[in-house]
Amino acid sequence: MMATHKVQIDDVVRDATPAEVAQIEARQAEAEAQAEAAEARAVARQAVLDRLGLTEQEAQLLLGS
Amino acid sequence: MGIPSGYTSAQVVQAVPTGINSALVLISSTTIGNAVSSVTVSNAFSSTYDNYKILISGGASSALGGLGLQLGATTTGYYWSVPRLVYGGAASNETGANGSSFTSVGGMNADGLGMNVDLIAPFLSKNTFYYSNQVANGTSSVAGGGGGFLNNTTSYTAFTVAPSSGTITGGTIRVYGYINS
Repeated sequence: MMATHKVQIDDVVRDATPAEVAQIEARQAEAEAQAEAAEARAVARQAVLDRLGLTEQEAQLLLGS
Repeated sequence: MGIPSGYTSAQVVQAVPTGINSALVLISSTTIGNAVSSVTVSNAFSSTYDNYKILISGGASSALGGLGLQLGATTTGYYWSVPRLVYGGAASNETGANGSSFTSVGGMNADGLGMNVDLIAPFLSKNTFYYSNQVANGTSSVAGGGGGFLNNTTSYTAFTVAPSSGTITGGTIRVYGYINS
């Protein structure tokens, strides 16, 4: 069963059409994937720091952000 | 400086001395409804202004996350990067190439929505640029300045704001135009 969503066009709120639901869910999946990718990069960075024996603060001193 | 045609004095939000032609003019103010997954503001952009500011304040979201921005009905061609730092911590950058929207423009949680973005040339038949500082309002979240461009030359009149997950309720979307002259 397709999830329900409400969309707002200016001051009017209505149920999303099936096409809009698909678009909302695709957009939210893309956002989730990007957040997960950012998290994965942070984990990979921390793994490198751990191998080098550096704290995050030391890494920022050496490398900037 | 006179009041631009079609506006009242209350809509001129930045007082400027006579003879200085620079101001932001309120174009629209939209109150976000209850538990919506997206909000589209129609007729936001026109030939009157080349460049715009969009501010979102107040309201709440059902989940901690980001607020994204989409122009017109375009769902491809969004290129953006947001270099960010976790509060008191490490880098947590986000980026997108040929995405379906500018994903990480604003922040949201149960205590408020926030977006402050400048749009360059959305109505012109040129690339549209965005410039923003994303501030995510969770204690273990992130902040950072970012931007991007939409890789087409479509002229837009409308935009849509959408949460990265869940829904948003309340708050106000205000659109301002930068006077051209």
